[in-house]
Amino acid sequence: MNLFNRFRRGSAPVARERLQILLAHERNARSAPDLLDTLREEILEVIGRHVSFEPDKVLIKVDRGKCVSTLAVDIEIPNGLRPEGVAPPLGKLVPDQVCNEGAPVIQQGAA
Amino acid sequence: MSDEKSARVLVVTSGKGGVGKTTSTAALGAALADQGDKVVVIDFDVGLRNLDLVLGAERRVVFDLINVIHGVAKLPQALIRDKRLENLYLLPASQTRDKEALTEDGVAKVIAELRTKFDWIVCDSPAGIERGATLAMRHADAAIIVTNPEVSSVRDSDRIIGLLDSKTEKAERGERVDKHLLINRYHPWRAARGEMLSIDDVLEILSIPLLGIIPESEEVLRASNLGSPVTINAASSAPARAYFDATRRLKGEEIPMQIPSESRGLLNKLFGRKAA
Amino acid sequence: MSSLNCQRQSLTFRARSYMAFVLSPQPPIIEWLADLDATLERSKGFFAGHPVALDLSATRLSPAAIGQLIESLEARNIRVLGIEGIDPIDAGAKLPPLLRGGRGGQEVEVPEPAAASASAPVKKQDAASLLIDTPVRSGQSVVFVEGDVTVIGSVGSGAEIIAGGSIHIYGTLRGLAMAGASGNSRARIFCHRFEGELLAIGAHYRSADEIDASLRRGPAQAWLDGNTLKISAMN
Repeated sequence: MNLFNRFRRGSAPVARERLQILLAHERNARSAPDLLDTLREEILEVIGRHVSFEPDKVLIKVDRGKCVSTLAVDIEIPNGLRPEGVAPPLGKLVPDQVCNEGAPVIQQGAA
Repeated sequence: MSDEKSARVLVVTSGKGGVGKTTSTAALGAALADQGDKVVVIDFDVGLRNLDLVLGAERRVVFDLINVIHGVAKLPQALIRDKRLENLYLLPASQTRDKEALTEDGVAKVIAELRTKFDWIVCDSPAGIERGATLAMRHADAAIIVTNPEVSSVRDSDRIIGLLDSKTEKAERGERVDKHLLINRYHPWRAARGEMLSIDDVLEILSIPLLGIIPESEEVLRASNLGSPVTINAASSAPARAYFDATRRLKGEEIPMQIPSESRGLLNKLFGRKAA
Repeated sequence: MSSLNCQRQSLTFRARSYMAFVLSPQPPIIEWLADLDATLERSKGFFAGHPVALDLSATRLSPAAIGQLIESLEARNIRVLGIEGIDPIDAGAKLPPLLRGGRGGQEVEVPEPAAASASAPVKKQDAASLLIDTPVRSGQSVVFVEGDVTVIGSVGSGAEIIAGGSIHIYGTLRGLAMAGASGNSRARIFCHRFEGELLAIGAHYRSADEIDASLRRGPAQAWLDGNTLKISAMN
């Protein structure tokens, strides 16, 4: 497990990074509604315009990262009917802040 | 989630804060899942959630217990499956609401629904004796009382044990909640020098069966930093082995109690690094 | 500052918990009263002298009807200590006080009459002694003014035992023990191991720091000698 070796020195840096990401999102959520929440609402609304589905058949997965967050929306649509041009699961690019590590990467699929 | 199950409901409680309820919930839950049982851990600390952090799922929380209680989401939508152990699920608490958002009815319904789908439901109680703590214990079949060998912790644990015999559904039906003592943060050298309450002292005061003794260890801190319970991250470490033994005792196995000692700690330090 | 101020004593308020029987009338009330009468026939005076709480949550009675029910119960020698399960608006000055925060709810068996000859009157077995066979936990309060309390187990720090008679603890006393609470100056306190916070008999008390350290961690007995609370080691 390479991960184990990498953090042999100390797990505090990992902890610090996790906290930075987490608190950035939580502070954001307190001042302004979570972008991912808004996107989720709007995506469901758009899909709902073209096909009807049960609200509880919607599985949503998020992964909030430092530079990139992933939103995955999984909907069971009855009779296998899919609206044109949309195939589950749906991935969305959500850049949070400018990364020093280069351009944000498009993430697709479940988290 | 097809075959019907009938879960055993555990509450991990203490009264006192900071004694290791959440880390123990995560470690025990992971240990049970590792043995093949289907486990859900529920965070009852509304407003100050920590179980997601300790399990490394903090970035994946979409819906929480409060959302489910208020009908905003269904249970399957809120459950977060662990990426390392497929049998382990988390139902996180809300970070923005507070304990008033928990309702007795709501919690009852959630537990009832989870009972048919899991082998174990482990409720991580908040500190204190108010609503969050009493609701976390309400449906418990058994309780794990996490205690540090320290006077305040012992007294608070005694108080909580008293509440388990009055504020639970089982108590109201005239039955007894099974109580298990988990001594956490045991320092062998401080105990040897009489600087810390001994196991016997704690057992004599609390008078409940001992489930396990978890030694103070840097492995537990590391696990927390990394977001991976010690029973996953360092399964052969002393605290992890103590947690595994505890789960086996929970399931009825009789295992002789290992009292952590100084020399064993040294051996672990020497050979622990070998496991990679 | 006049001497008047020195004569003033401060009022102390305390909270205590008591155990009470709960009667939970079910509509129709007439039938419920008939059932109650049948129970009282089998066991005369079962409720006499015991505090009874009235749980009206299954009924919707007007304040007048509640008053009538209380009177019907008084006629049967049942004195209502308090009422729960009604709208606070309906509670009135003429009715017993509103109760809040009731815990527990275990069923109590009403004993069947002894199937013995009527010649010898059966002496009513009044519970003059309360036996507790589990540890008393911190924060719990045991109050039994009718007589002695015996605990098989320890009494935790922050717990209290208050007895009208004597207190016997077959374990370690870490909390409070108050015997002779109803004025019985001959009440005593016995414990296997004394590590308590306070001992009291009647109005005379001593807190832990006023008790000789040599008495701790061993069997001890407390009693009243005139107006002095005496504590000594046993054996």
